[in-house]
Amino acid sequence: MSERKIYFKILLAIAIGMIVVVIGFRAFLAAMGAGGLMSRVSEARAEIPTIVKEEKDLVMFYGSSMVRAGFSPRQFDRELAEQGVDIKSYNFGFGGLNPLFQAALARRIKEQFDANDKRLELAIIEFNPFQTTKTRRNGAIAAEESFLGILGNDQELLDIAKNDLRKGIRMANIKYIRGGISAEMVTNFYGRMFAEPRPRTLLAKDSEEHGKRLGEVGDALTKRFDEEYPNYVDSDWSLEWQGGGTIPEERSKETLELFDEYYKLLQSDYRMDNARLNRIHTADIEGLNFDPLLMESFIEIVKTFQQFSDRVEVVILPQNRKWIKNPPEAIERFDNAVARIEGETGVQIRNFDRTGKFDPTMFSDTTHLARYLGDVPFTNHLVKVYQPILAQD
Amino acid sequence: MLFNTPIFFIFFVIFLLFYGFIFMQRKPRVYFILVSSLVFYGAWNYKFIPLLVGSAIADYFIAQAIGNSNDQKRKKWLVSLSIFINLGILALFKYADFAIESFADLLGAFGYQASFETLSWVLPVGISFYTFQSLSYTIDVYRGDMKPRKGLVEFTAALAFFPQLVAGPILRAKQILPQFHKLPVPTWLNAKHAFLLITVGLIKKTVADLLAAPAALAFDAPNTVSTIELWTGVLAFAGQIYGDFSGYSDMAIGIALLLGFQIPLNFRVPYFALSPVDFWRRWHISLSSWLKDYLYISLGGNRTGHRYRNVFITMLLGGLWHGAAWGFIAWGVFHGVIITATHFFREQERFAGFAQSNSRWIKFIQWAVTFYLILIGWVLFRAETLSGAWEMLINMHSLASTAAAGNSALLILGLVVGSTILIHLMDYFVLNKAEKLESKWWLFWPLLVIGHFLCFMIGQPSTEFIYFQF
Repeated sequence: MSERKIYFKILLAIAIGMIVVVIGFRAFLAAMGAGGLMSRVSEARAEIPTIVKEEKDLVMFYGSSMVRAGFSPRQFDRELAEQGVDIKSYNFGFGGLNPLFQAALARRIKEQFDANDKRLELAIIEFNPFQTTKTRRNGAIAAEESFLGILGNDQELLDIAKNDLRKGIRMANIKYIRGGISAEMVTNFYGRMFAEPRPRTLLAKDSEEHGKRLGEVGDALTKRFDEEYPNYVDSDWSLEWQGGGTIPEERSKETLELFDEYYKLLQSDYRMDNARLNRIHTADIEGLNFDPLLMESFIEIVKTFQQFSDRVEVVILPQNRKWIKNPPEAIERFDNAVARIEGETGVQIRNFDRTGKFDPTMFSDTTHLARYLGDVPFTNHLVKVYQPILAQD
Repeated sequence: MLFNTPIFFIFFVIFLLFYGFIFMQRKPRVYFILVSSLVFYGAWNYKFIPLLVGSAIADYFIAQAIGNSNDQKRKKWLVSLSIFINLGILALFKYADFAIESFADLLGAFGYQASFETLSWVLPVGISFYTFQSLSYTIDVYRGDMKPRKGLVEFTAALAFFPQLVAGPILRAKQILPQFHKLPVPTWLNAKHAFLLITVGLIKKTVADLLAAPAALAFDAPNTVSTIELWTGVLAFAGQIYGDFSGYSDMAIGIALLLGFQIPLNFRVPYFALSPVDFWRRWHISLSSWLKDYLYISLGGNRTGHRYRNVFITMLLGGLWHGAAWGFIAWGVFHGVIITATHFFREQERFAGFAQSNSRWIKFIQWAVTFYLILIGWVLFRAETLSGAWEMLINMHSLASTAAAGNSALLILGLVVGSTILIHLMDYFVLNKAEKLESKWWLFWPLLVIGHFLCFMIGQPSTEFIYFQF
């Protein structure tokens, strides 16, 4: 065999081998349902071209799953319209992200607005303290390159490659070859089975009847949803609902009663304490040791929005203060973080967590506002705060 | 540019395209290997390329001068110069800060508080490997074991040859230079074996990365984990360092073999060793044989009646070769002691029967004692401080740890043991059954693809090969 022929065979073997491996990997991801990673983010991004064509003034509430649960855009719009302010708002709250990833997403949103020469009338950005902690970042380290790859554009990948060729190529590989899933993510996912169990509450467990009833009510609510929204197209982020959920006026009296019962059952001490411990474990919610990079990223988010918004507000959402208690040193760290954000962005932060208007019955767990019980009062509070500002503009 | 990264994959495919299809003559190929190797090396830190090239130039001309001289004194002076240059570079970059700090500590112990500026220089990747490799050339020429070869570019390309540049195996000039003189052509059989070695190396490296976590758990906070987790951690480190280093060596040998170059084996199922002496015949063979040929024999070997002393010095310096830290020195001393003890016991009549026995049980005891000693050695090697190592050893043996074992402790111990055995089985398989497997294409290629698929799936808790730091 000639030398060239041997090298040709070697290269062919490498190429075929890699193709088979990549196809196998993609098939594995599909079989595991990993394609749904960041589906809410992807769906929201896909709708931005439609959003920027909206003729009304735009309001965007950008943040974490607390925004997702707590802000009802359709209710916000309707209440404001009744008070003479005609705007269209969107819920851009996403669970599972941290400010590093949100900063990348903010840049993508800005690109779309810039490309259409559109501006936001008002950007409300949530500063979520426990999403900005070292613990939170460490928990997402395995996903960092994947998420940044998915949310980054080619220019950003090129810039990364210019500074660190290895990293740039690795991220391009994750984005284009590996379908956004790095090997670290796969390992991390399966490695969890060897991790030590999270701390659990020592409080008495809910009774069996309690659990049984919770399951029954949950099933009944799912059934009601199917009945009341027969044409609903299943999606994590619906343009029709402006990224938010349902509103009470669309639901029957029986459904609302079921919701009341559901949240009452959900708010048991046992569940709440477990939720608290879980948040401590995954996000250092009480200690609040901030991560420098996540803090910088949050400031970058605000500055990015400032470039394509007429007004940018930074807010802190209420937490369930019956369960989440910060020691004085954590409060000091929090106050310093707020002062830093205000200093570097020039934005005065509104802390809705310190208004005392949101009591523990309004939460589904330690941090998320409950549907109807929590999101309605919170959205109405936002209307009160922002109506004068929007009316003025 | 690690072998198991996308950037190396791109680099190597481009290299193959040029090497296999564009540069078909020997000279351009040698130049191309040199340039590519420098690009490969420069990907870490291009500032150290002059150091590597300078080392090669110095040793090339020294070897030429030795070869041209008939004066034994001049030859001795020249080889001493080569040793001075190579070890001087190592001393400056690797040991200077350690020496300065240790001296300051020593003064402190006598009540003199002194603070000295350290150099704080970055350690060039692979420096310990290429300086030893380069040194072997001048010593071989001095000893008359080989004649100096003409061709500076050829010599530099051989020294910088990218598959083995940063973490060995440490090649002798007489092994690699003739191959550069008449560039080898790979056969398809070579290529298949190379693919097998690369796959096995990747799997070993991947498994080693997984073992890093339980090892770190024990070594990073030895006082907070249970006794079983300490043992698991030490076992995991044993598996990690073996998988990491032998995996890298396998990939290096495989990549070179794809180009037709033959690089000798660096590991031979080391944890199957039946004595500490046997272990060093199986572990990092290129280093142990280098130390034997160029240090132990230079000290007089076992001829001068100072065998124990010579073994001890060789192992001490072997430990120091791994890095400038008391832990490495302690590890070298420990191996010096157990090898000397092995020789001593073997020479005692009453132990002769035990040492030479073919009984399975006795062999098992020999293996168990050897493996236990190797594990103890790894504690000294890996622990952050000597006092930390000592504390860890006490906790491992006294069952004094009050920390409760994690829920998955036994499961993780099982996985660690299984992983270490898996790495060994793969080594054993490559050594003994590779030919048979390579002849069955319907089994060979699917197994290779499955191997790569698994490596594609599993991420790295650690990103660097452990031996790069040496």
